[in-house]
Parts: sequence; structure tokens; C-alpha cells
Amino acid sequence: MNKKTPYILIMPIVLLGVLFIYGLVNGIIQSFGYIPALDLGNFTLDYYIEILKDPTFIDSLKVSLKISIISSILAMVLGTILTTALVYTGHTEGKTLQIIKLAILIPHTIVALFSISLLSQNGLIARLFYNLGFISAQGDFPLLLYTENSLGIILGYLWKEVPFVAYFSLALMNSINKTLGEASENLGASRLKSFFYITLPLSMPAISKAFLIILTFSFGAYDLPFLLGATMPKALPVQAHLEYMHPDLRYRPYAMAMNGLILAVSWTMTGIYYLVKKKKGIKGDVHERY
Amino acid sequence: MSMKDTNSNIPLKLFLYLIAFTILAPLVILVLWTFTSRWPWPNLFPTSFSLRALEEVFAPYANLLPTLVSSILLSLTVALLSAIVGTMTARALVFYDFFGKGLIKLLTMAPNIVPGTVFAMGIHVVFIRMSLADTLVGVIIVHLIYTLPYSINIMRDLTSSIGQQMELQAYVLGASPLKSFIYITLPLLAPGVLASMNMAYITSFSQYFLTLLIGGGKIRTLSTLMVPFIAKGDRSIGSAYALIFVLSTLTIFIVMDRVIKRLSFRNKEENL
Amino acid sequence: MELELKNISVKLSNKEILKSINLKVNNGEFISLLGASGCGKSTMLKTIAGIIKQNEGSILLGGNLADKIPAHKRKTVIVFQDFRLFPHMTVAENISFPLKMMGTNKTKCREKAIELLEKVQLKGFENRHIDELSGGQMQRVALARALAAEPTVLLLDEPFSSLDINLRKNMRELVLSLQKEYKITTLLVTHDQEEALTMSHRIAFIHNGQIEQYDSPENIFKHPVNTLVADYFAEGVYIDGDIIDNKFISGLFTLDANKDNGKYKCLVRPLAVKVKKAEKGCFKVLDKIFQGDNYLLKLSNIDKKLNLESIISAPVDILEGDLVDVDLDKERLIFIPE
Repeated sequence: MNKKTPYILIMPIVLLGVLFIYGLVNGIIQSFGYIPALDLGNFTLDYYIEILKDPTFIDSLKVSLKISIISSILAMVLGTILTTALVYTGHTEGKTLQIIKLAILIPHTIVALFSISLLSQNGLIARLFYNLGFISAQGDFPLLLYTENSLGIILGYLWKEVPFVAYFSLALMNSINKTLGEASENLGASRLKSFFYITLPLSMPAISKAFLIILTFSFGAYDLPFLLGATMPKALPVQAHLEYMHPDLRYRPYAMAMNGLILAVSWTMTGIYYLVKKKKGIKGDVHERY
Repeated sequence: MSMKDTNSNIPLKLFLYLIAFTILAPLVILVLWTFTSRWPWPNLFPTSFSLRALEEVFAPYANLLPTLVSSILLSLTVALLSAIVGTMTARALVFYDFFGKGLIKLLTMAPNIVPGTVFAMGIHVVFIRMSLADTLVGVIIVHLIYTLPYSINIMRDLTSSIGQQMELQAYVLGASPLKSFIYITLPLLAPGVLASMNMAYITSFSQYFLTLLIGGGKIRTLSTLMVPFIAKGDRSIGSAYALIFVLSTLTIFIVMDRVIKRLSFRNKEENL
Repeated sequence: MELELKNISVKLSNKEILKSINLKVNNGEFISLLGASGCGKSTMLKTIAGIIKQNEGSILLGGNLADKIPAHKRKTVIVFQDFRLFPHMTVAENISFPLKMMGTNKTKCREKAIELLEKVQLKGFENRHIDELSGGQMQRVALARALAAEPTVLLLDEPFSSLDINLRKNMRELVLSLQKEYKITTLLVTHDQEEALTMSHRIAFIHNGQIEQYDSPENIFKHPVNTLVADYFAEGVYIDGDIIDNKFISGLFTLDANKDNGKYKCLVRPLAVKVKKAEKGCFKVLDKIFQGDNYLLKLSNIDKKLNLESIISAPVDILEGDLVDVDLDKERLIFIPE
């Protein structure tokens, strides 16, 4: 109605966007060693090179990648099975779905608490194993928390992400199943074949998008590895925060370089996703709701 | 197909029940731990119950109630701002062509591909310079940035599905553009506003790292109050806080639902 | 293959959609299920195909009970209104999908797809993607795919309603010629009475989950069993009266009518009303509406309060306000027993 209207409407998002980019760019500049306030005035790749040579960092990178890749793949597979279960048993709305949503609403910090009360060596599962005679003492139960295998963290992510994948892909799979799934059964495909030839491949845009979201999220997330992770090696974001909080401010470029690498890995993951998507010609875009 | 109940569904049904159990069981345990005074190894149930954990978190020195209230107000502010900015941005993106539209679209997605820790450490220095660090405004801004992708997405879907015809009709009938938006479009957008407020509220209320870093310990929320106990592995106190977290969130959701329904209903009545 | 529905009742979310449907379709017959939207005709197709399970009654295929045959083995193939082509497959892959499900090898699948594409006049389209096709082409691919499934009964669910009028005529002809060639028992769901009249051997008129009449197009048009059926094909004016000794007697007129004695409604459709300009005619022309090839005249007989409509071919010298004489074409009058 008025030429000025859209510019008035986008004013807040532009302001916030500028701030966002400013913060991001500021961090990246610092990662190249340019912090005039600390008398650091040269652009250099030294900090990146140094941390890439540092075994502590490499171990952190490995543990972060391990957590995010394993938890995301498992969450995608189990989440897809859950979506399938919801669609094929007719639970696409109602109470069951409310339970699934509940898991999405619980924050990761509380999930950490669940892990502690269930998975620690004197947790409920260990007690159950003891009472069933699988183990004879607390110490026989495998160490899942605060340890390098990171199983407690991975299980924590699964608790939140399996429901997320299901919730994210439910609408698409349900509508595919009702139309094209029905058509394929009518054309002679058994239920199993109809699922694997038609419903599953056509639900992939939502499933793979959900996978990308949880993959990049769990790679850069702080809460679970902070609360459940090992002292050594720490997950990357936790390690970066530690460097950042170092009383000696000259450690700051190291923190920022770690952040730069976290960003580089996340963006590489995103880039690969779009490349694969383009190559495979997965059609249709699904909005994100995490 | 979903109507039919055949044998092939049994494994899927079992899987569904297993997941539902896995989601609900920890919540039950949470309640148990909150009221437990003794739960020694290897018992599967607590040996004695008490209100000790609740007494401790509600003790005056724990500062729970003021923190809870300010935490709720903080997240409600973020939710409201997020819904407003989301509605505005969605309107601009759906109905108008303007310079830099592609950039704005990209910008709305950006927080999804920049981990909160990375952004927070970058903006922290900037905020110190702008005197926004350790302030409520600073915390609101970073929370807002991380809730906006969802709000904009939700509002964009709804705005484009409602379209502009009805609002234009009101405009043609003599309502000012602002009035036609308020009386016609806003009530139709109410469900989206509610959904984005819910999403933004929970995102903000759950936020630990952003609040801790930008708030610098001065801005206290339920999350920053609760996490040290979880970090220590204190199951009783941790569970008590977590229970308060879950219950207060559900209460706020119910209240928001009522308020928004009433507001949009009143608007509809005024239309008549 | 012969198809029979015996006492089929279907409830969906506690609503009765089909109520004791009985229908017998002979081998190779083309049947239309005609009715307004929501009358249950699409549900009937899905029930026949085994996609929806009936609450009561049985379905027989070739004289054998089909209730226990799962949907994917019934060979009762639906062509859906929205085509439902698989977007991640090429045209040829879509068509050979049912063959692949039967375990046919790849070369044979492709040969068959190419052969069927020729049948539906889409030679050379095998490697196209679905999103490159127009509506009419999608319809043809859907048809070819259905034929590939070797249906014993072909079920067409409003297949032409999404096409524009010119295409519709071509598609109807194509469907009819293929149906004749393959001699497949075919059920067409439609709300278009003209489509039903021109295409089918018999029409089942469905209203509110029940079959009101099941008859040949000519009979259903000329001898509707009730006003519901009659009104669906063409509207007109009803005149109440009695038939006594082959004469229809009403307050207005008396006519020869070859029917059993009883109370009847006489339906006078506009085409049955012939008019002639007359100085002392007993009907007045209230309105004259141009309809292209024809004019519609609205007539009123003032003293007896009878309003009639007449369709006459243009050109015509009658004007609004003229008085006319009315003659009823006995062949076109319809008597509906009450």
C-alpha cells in the first residue's frame, strides 16, 4: 500500500541482523589475531595452525564429531522408524503425539539430569541390572558419564532428537502415505514394498533436513557435553569456552580460532547436504522447527 | 491405510510404546527424586520420602521465587518481541518486494547454522563495548536472535496461507491499513502468534550458555540457577528445580493459550 | 471380470457413508457411478479396491469372495482424480511400477511401458520427468500405469474433472477406445451427468450413500424412479395428477400416458414445451433469455398460475410480452410414480 511499508517492517530484523553479523565477524577477525585492544594488530593464520597442531584440540574435534555423527545417524534411523510407527498405526494426532512433543520441550540441561539419574554407576539402570543379577556391584556397570566414550551424551541427544526427527517428518510422511502410498498399494505393491519404494524415498526431504539440523546442532552445542562430558578431551564448544574464559586475554584468539573451525565444520556439513540434495534432486523444501 | 489394523503393525506399535515409555519414565523418576530423602543402592524405589529438596529450593536464601518471576518475565518479553518481529518480517517477505529481500531471507536462517556458543563469544566483546554485557537488554537481544528463525518461519507460512485479500477488502470498505490489519488479519494470525510465542518462550527459558555468558552471572534465570546442581550431580535438588521448570512452563503455555484465544475472540466480536 | 457388491455398508469416523449397497457389474461392462459430491461414490471405489474396509457385506470378483484379498492383490486398479504419479520416477518407471511389483524383469518392464505409452498416444515420453508433463499427459500416464497393473476391474475416480473442456473430450474418447480394446470391466465415478450418459452402458445414481436407480442411460433419463434422479439430469416443472386407464389427469390438462393406474408427478422439461405465437394464446412470455443456439422462454399461464419454461432453437419471432399457445411433446414428458 505504501512503498515505505516493507522497509519499516524489516527494520527490527535488519537491526538484529546487523548485530548478529557484527558479532560473528568480530569473532572471526579475532580468530586471525586482530585485537587492537590487546595490542594484537596483525592478521595471521598462526592461531589456526597452532590449534590444528595441538593434540588437545584434535581430540576435542574428534570427540565432538563422534558425538554429533553417531547421535545424529542413530536419531535419524530411530526417528524415521518412530515416524513410520506413528503413521502406520494411525497415531498422527492425539495423546501419543503430545508425549512426543513433550520430549521436544524439555531442555538439554534437564536431559542431562535424566542421564545422571538413569545412567550413572549407581543410577536406576545399574540398580535394575544388579537386581536382575547382570552385575554384582556398582563398579561392574559400564562407565557412561564423564568419560571419553561419551555414551551418556549420545543417549541424551537421542532422547531429544528421536522425537524431533519424528515430529519434523510426520506431516510429510503422513500425507505421502495417504496419497501415493495408497496408490502404490492399489497398483500391487505390498505394504513393505510400498513403504520402501514410495513412502520412504518421498519422505526423505524432511528426514534429511531434520538430520542436518540435529547434526549441526549437536556438533556446536554446549549444554550436554558441559554437564556430562569427560575432563579430557572436552567437546569443542566447551574447550573453546574454557579458552575464552582464560584470565590471560591472550588466549582469546585461540578460542575464536576454535569457534572459526566449529563454524567451518558446520558450514561444510550444510554445504555437503545441499550438494547431495542437488545431485539427488530431492525436491520440496521443508521449513525448520527445532 | 492408517485405519487398518493388521498384524504387520504389531512391531511398530511395540516400538511406539517403547518410545513413549522412554520419554515418560525419566519424568516419573524426576518426580520421585524431588520427594526422596533416602534412595540407597541397590534399591529400585526410595526408602523414605520428604519435602527436604523442595524446602531447600524454596528457602529464602535460594532466591527461587524472585528468580523464577524475573526468568518468566524475561522469556515472556522475548516471546512477545519474537512474535512481533516475526510477524513484521513475515509480512514484508510475503507481501512485498524490496531491496535486499534475498539477504533478509538468508539472515532469518543464519542463527540455525551458527552455533550459539560461537555467536555468543563473538558478540560478547561487542556488547562489553556497547555496555550491553551483563544487562537484561543484552540477554533479551541474544535470546531474541536465537528465537527469530522459528517465529519468522511459523508466521511466514501462516501469513502466506491467509493472504492479503480480506485485509484489502476491509481497506476498500474504508478501514485504514492499520485498522484493517488489526481487525482482520491479526485474529487470523492468532494461532501462529501463539505457536511462535510458545516456541520462543521455551527456547529462551531453556537457554543456559547464552544467558550465562551475556548475562555474566548478573542476570539470573531458572536455568542458571538449576544447572550448577545438575553439574554437581545433585539429583534431589536438581530434580526439584527441573520439576519447577517443567510445571511453570506448562502453566505459562496454558495461560498464553487462554489469553491469545480470548484476545482474538474479542477482536472477532468487535468485528460484528 | 464380473463384479458384485452385496449389502455393502461403510462407516467412516462414525458416519454412515454407504448404506447397504447392492450392485452387479457384468464382465466388460462400463458403469458410471453418478452423484453429487459427498454422496459416497468415491468411498465405494476405495471399498471395491480394498483400501477402505466395509463394515458389512461382501464384494465378489468373478463370482469369488474378495473380502479377504488385500488391496495390493485385488487387481482392482484406481485412476485417481489427482493422478498420484510418483514424482521421483520417470514416466517409464511409473508405468512399469506395477510390473516391477509382480517381479517382471527390467527389459520386459521397459518394453511394456513403451508399448503402453503408444496406446495412450505418448510415444517417446518414457524418459520424461513427471514435473515436465501437462495435466492431460499426466492423465495418460496414470491410465497407462493402471493398465500395466493388468486390472480385472478398472476404477476411474473423477478422472476428467481436473482437465479443461477440450482435453476432456479427447480423454473420454481415449478411455472408451481402450476400454473396448482391453474389454476391462470399468467403473467411472463422476458428478457430470453428460459424461455418465455418453460413456456408460449403465448408470448407478447414488444419493446419500444409497443407489437410487441402476439402469441404462436412456432408461434413467427417460424413466427416472424419483424426483431426485429426474432433477439431476434436467430440471423442469412438476404437475401432480393421476393416471387412470392410460390417461394422465391433472387439474390443468389430460394426456395419453401408457402407465399403470396411480398417483403420478408429470415432469415437464423445457425441451418438451413447444410454443406457437397466437393472438389469443393462454400463456404469456415473461422473459426471453439468449443461450447461444437456443432461447429459453419463461412462460406463465395467468389464470391457472402455471409457470413453464421452453427451449426453442433460434431464430425466433416471439418477443417478451407476446401471447403464445403451448403444446406438450408427449415423448418428452416424464411420469414419476409417487
